[in-house]
This record gives sequence, C-alpha cells and structure tokens, in this order.
Amino acid sequence: MANLNIRSRQERTYQAIVIGSGISGAWAAKELCDLGVKTLMLERGKDVQHVKDYPTTNMLPYEFEHRGQVPQKIQDENPVISRCYAFREDAMHFFVKDTEHPYVQEKPFDWIRGYQVGGKSLLWARQVQRWSDFDFEGPARDGFAVDWPIRYKDIEKWYSHVEKFAGVSGNKDGLPNLPDGEFLPGYELNVVEKYFAEQLKKNYGNERHMISSRCAHINGNLDFYAQQGRAKCQNRNLCQRGCPFGGYFSSNSSTIPWALKTGNLTMRPDAVVHSIIYDEEKGKATGVRIVDRLTKETEEFYADVIFLNAAALNSNLVLMNSTSNRFPNGLGNDSGLLGKYVAFHNYRAGVSAEHEGHSEYTTSGGRPTSGYFPRFRNVYKQETDFLRGYAAGFSAGRGVRTNSEGIGIELKNNLLNPSEYGPWYVGSHMMGETIPKESNYVALDPTLKDEWGIPQLKISVDYDDNDEKMIKDYIEQMSEMFTKAGFTNIRTRDDKRAPGLDIHEMGGVRMGKDPKTSMLNANHQLHAVPNVYVTDGASMTSTSTQNPSLTYMAFAARAAHHAVAESKK
Amino acid sequence: MNRRIALRHLALISGGLVLIPSCDFSSDDILAAYQNLKVTASQKTLLGAISDTIIPAGEIKGALNLEVPDFILVMVNDCFTKENQDKFTAGLTAFPDYVQKTAGKKFESLSTKEKEELILTGTKLEGEDTPEGKAKANISYFLNSTKRFTIQGYMASEYIQTEIIPYSLIPGEYNGAVLITDLQKPRING
Repeated sequence: MANLNIRSRQERTYQAIVIGSGISGAWAAKELCDLGVKTLMLERGKDVQHVKDYPTTNMLPYEFEHRGQVPQKIQDENPVISRCYAFREDAMHFFVKDTEHPYVQEKPFDWIRGYQVGGKSLLWARQVQRWSDFDFEGPARDGFAVDWPIRYKDIEKWYSHVEKFAGVSGNKDGLPNLPDGEFLPGYELNVVEKYFAEQLKKNYGNERHMISSRCAHINGNLDFYAQQGRAKCQNRNLCQRGCPFGGYFSSNSSTIPWALKTGNLTMRPDAVVHSIIYDEEKGKATGVRIVDRLTKETEEFYADVIFLNAAALNSNLVLMNSTSNRFPNGLGNDSGLLGKYVAFHNYRAGVSAEHEGHSEYTTSGGRPTSGYFPRFRNVYKQETDFLRGYAAGFSAGRGVRTNSEGIGIELKNNLLNPSEYGPWYVGSHMMGETIPKESNYVALDPTLKDEWGIPQLKISVDYDDNDEKMIKDYIEQMSEMFTKAGFTNIRTRDDKRAPGLDIHEMGGVRMGKDPKTSMLNANHQLHAVPNVYVTDGASMTSTSTQNPSLTYMAFAARAAHHAVAESKK
Repeated sequence: MNRRIALRHLALISGGLVLIPSCDFSSDDILAAYQNLKVTASQKTLLGAISDTIIPAGEIKGALNLEVPDFILVMVNDCFTKENQDKFTAGLTAFPDYVQKTAGKKFESLSTKEKEELILTGTKLEGEDTPEGKAKANISYFLNSTKRFTIQGYMASEYIQTEIIPYSLIPGEYNGAVLITDLQKPRING
C-alpha cells in the first residue's frame, strides 16, 4: 500500500484528533477548539457543507422524478437501508447503501449508517430527553451489565451546556424520571393529544404522562442562535434533507462551523480510519492511521489526545483493528470485553386507533415534534415479569380524505375539491430498553475486508425473552390506555424488525468502575490508554429508553473539558 | 413465442429503437426511454387517451396536458418489480383487443361515456386461475395502476401544486385546535 507520509511529521501533528464528525465527534471538536486546542477532525465520508451541500433541501414535490419513492432497483440491491423510514428519494444520498459498505450479519441486523461530514446528525429524529438516576442506577439496582461509574449529578451541567448551544425546545414538565432542562418554548400538543394526556391523568393518577417531546429545534432566543448562523425552525418537516435555516441541530449547521471559526479546527474528510497508533515505549496512543477514501493511500496523524467518535459500532471496529504487542486483541482490551454487551432500543411494536370525538377540530401548520411517554414501568421498583421498561412516542392527527372514486369530470372534481375530513388517527410506537448481554457482540470478520483493507464488522445481536415480554406488555398497556380514552378500531403490530433499524445501537466499549469488567472509566478514557476517549454510543453501559444523542453530546463535551484539564496538570 | 414478441426481443438485442411491423400499426417504435419496458409509441398514445379519460381537460388542465403518461411509464419502469412490470405491460398490450371484444370498436372511436364505463368496468375485472382469467387480471392491474399513477402524477404536478392548490415549503406555525368551520377550504398541500 502506498504511503503518503511525505509531509513532515510536524505538519501532521495536532494537539487533539477527533475521529468522526457526527453528533458526538463534532461536540468534542467544538469544545476542544473553544478551549484553544488545535484539533484535527477525521471523517471517513465526503464533505457536506451546511446549505451548499443540501441538494434537495428546497425541492418541491413535483421536482422529484419518483415523487419521493426509491426506485425498485436501488431497493433490490440495498434491502437493509431500504427498510429505514428516512431512506427516500429526497435524502437517500446521505445514507450508506448496502452495496457500498458490506458487513457480516451473523444474525439479522439492519445497520443504518451515514458516512459524510455531519454523519447521522443530518438525519436524526432530533428527540432529546435527558436521562435521570432511574436510568443510571438501573444496572446496579436490577443486577445486569455493570454499574455506571457516573450519576445524573455528574452529567447534569453538561446536559445544560449542550442544550443551550444546540437549542432544545420543550416544556418544564416536572417529572422526576425525565428531568427538565434548558428549554426554549415547547411545541404545542394538539387538541386530541391534550385530551389523551388528561385521560391518562384521570385513569392512572399521576403515574403515566404524555408530554410534548423535547426536540433539538430552535423556537426562541433567536439572537443567540444567529451567532451560529441559525434561525428559527420553519416547521417544514424536511429535516432529513439538511435544513437551510439551521432550524434543527446538526454538526453541519452548528458545532462544525463554530469550531472552524475559532481557527483551531482542521477538517480532513475522506479519511477512513484504519487504527489508532499505540506507542509501547511511551505507553500511550500517539496518533491515527488512515486510508484515503479516494486514493487508498495511507497517512498518519499525531496528537496528544484522541477522541474516538466513529459511531457506536464503528468505534468498536476501530479499537479492534488497533492491535499492537501490548494490545493484541484491540486497543485497551485487557478485559476481553471489547465488542461485547452491545444493546439497542426495541422499536418493534406499535398501536394505532381512531378517535371519534373532537370532530369539529383539525390542525394547521407544522411542528417538528409530537408526544412522548416517559417510561412508567418499573421506575421506582420492580413490578413486572420483565426488567426495565419502555418509552413511547404518541401523536394524533387527521387528514383530508382523498376521494378517488369515479372517473372523468366526477373524479377530477372529487380530487380538486376535497371537502371531507377523515377521522382523527392516533398512533404510538414503543422504545424499549434492552439488556446488554455478553452474547450480543460485534467482532472483526477473520477474512472479509472492505475496499480499504479494513476487516468487515461481524454483528451478532438479537432480542431475548425480556424484550418479548416487554413487547407484550407495551401492546397490552397501550391498548388499555387507548380503550380507556375511548379510542376505537385499535390495531396493534409487532413488525418483527431486526435490531439496528432503531438506529440506537450502543455499547461494546462500556464505561464502568473496574478495568476488569469495563473498557472506559468515569471520564470516558480507556482504562489502559487514558489519552484515548470514547464518547459516542459505544461507551454506553446500559441503554435506558431515551433517544441517546443528547447524552452523547453531553458526554463528549464533558470528556473534552476533562482532557484539557488533564493536559494542564 | 409469437412473431411480434420475437421481433421485440430482436429490437432490444439490436439496441432499442427499431421499426417493428405489427398487425395493428404499420410501424411502431419501442421507446428507449423506458428501458425496462417494451412499450411502443402507439401504446404510449393509448395510455395518454386512457389517462385523459380518467382526468380530462376542461377549464383546469387534464392529465394529458401535464404529461402524465410519461410519469406513469417512468414509475412503472423504475419503481415496479419485474413481475408487476410484466403484468402492467401484458395488460396494456391486451387492452386494444379487450376493447374491441367488449365494445366492438377501437378505444379512440368510443364516446367519452363509453370510454369511462369501459375503464371503470376494467378496473373491477377479476380473473380466475385460467389463461383468460390471467388476461383479465392483467387488464385490471394495468387499469388500476394507470388510474393510481394518473391521480398521483396529476395531483403532484407543478401545475396543480403552483396554480390550483399551491404547495408551501413553509406551512406556518402549528395550531393544534382549529375549528373546521373557521377554515374556508381544507388545505391539502402543506
């Protein structure tokens, strides 16, 4: 393989290297740059610059050749990514196609990836709920995984720090299991959603709540966000195309341009990370070896501290591929736990129904969020035959009936003069906590390699009995709540989707107190190589039920400050 | 394999656009734009006549004015499975004979009313598991797909979404409790 280390070592030396430009990597880079650290950001995919590289962002429906649908040939060739809800004609250029980056499914796993500057932060669902100690204390209380080495008090101010900058809209709901944060004005629930929330209070006392979901959209404090070049969310609901207003938080619209403005950030797209370089004499990591995506040439970069934020499973892959005499089984892997205890969120089930009331109402305009049920099962004590519980999304809406009856002038009149509203539809989907297990793991395939000579990832992750019981309970409980609220025509589903399609894969490089049973310490440093920090989904000891990105952001910011404080010692 | 099918295959092998003799038309080009289909220019014209019957022109433009036949063929060509493409083109190919048999005339010679009735009846055809039944099922599949794509292509056209029922990229602030009686007209595009 050609080696491109022609430039002097000094030119390729920085104070910090961040691997990955997604939601957590860009947060690490932004904090490091704000603190004056000369930082190199490596991104395996192409550059995507805010607005300029959002080719579909202002396209009108009729400008899409297939009106949004993904052509059959692309679907046939890429069955995994075609199952992702956001893989549509308007955003498919931001997703990794199966054919481009193969991996090995020892068990079915839909691995959804976005290889570009900004990663999946361009594509995420933007729901940002805090964790509480009911989540951090879960493994210790219920006896699974290992105890988290941190608690809510360790992360609380970092939640505030990232919420303020990213822009989070929400209401102060005063729920102990879903702490309030630094919120911009929240979005309104509609008349039927409010009705349902009241019904819950009536039927379940103060035990079950349905609130307006906190989301990473700008809905106030506009002068502050103008400093980032971002404006108020326009309720377009076209977020997956990239937002020209910067109305929602992404690396591309927010943290990356901010970090660039400090003059401390160097971006290096098209840099496929091969491994982290470990110097046995110095006893620490000294740099990162990359393969150029386009030229396939290798190059090395050096730094005092390395942040690994390649997204959960790829961060596992990078560590596993970083071998040395000292670490023959992957960097920092003295415990043999690297790649194990991978978990995810269980999104298999949903319940929908109709509502006959409030027929005199409809909604107008748009909003970027909907309703959210914080976990109500096993919060204060164990009360079911399964561990932990589930959060759920909830929304109500109604549309204008499309009348496609008839033919000719009659049909044309029906289509152009819609007059009848359909019923209110209500729908919910579960977001279940899964229990990390040693048997759910990722590993390097012993023979298969990708185009860049890097071993392919083998994924072996599955549901278990706890998940099945939880699905059953969710369907029963949500159906009961719907019935008590008077909803009709209740339909339940278990779509049996493979893990991964939730796009909340986590773990494999978990945090813990003891180096024998965990990979990372309380500050996200590899126990055995403390100048390597892992602050993305790989670091998760357990999954809880909340959408995880906000927690990764807070972890990354906290760890970046820790790294800078350490360097000054 | 009948002669016409054999010739079409030959046409494909020899690179798409060649003249094909047939009993219905003296010459007919296979349209290279829809490379997964073997659709001729005259079949596209027929599809146009059908879509024009489904949504006719008037004070407001109709499907044919908005190039809906092209949209239909693009969708069938790009977004259908091979199996459904075969059903669609089989139905399209069999349609002229079906019209001749049921109405005793060519489609273009029928009155508007006759055309409408013929299409509506055709969409409801059900086929049992015999060769004739399969042919019926193909015609029904072809007509239903054509109606569905005619509606989609028409309603999601630039003309409708700018001049008749404007689409807005920015739908405005959310109001979660609007009295329907306060609205002048239901909003369907953004």
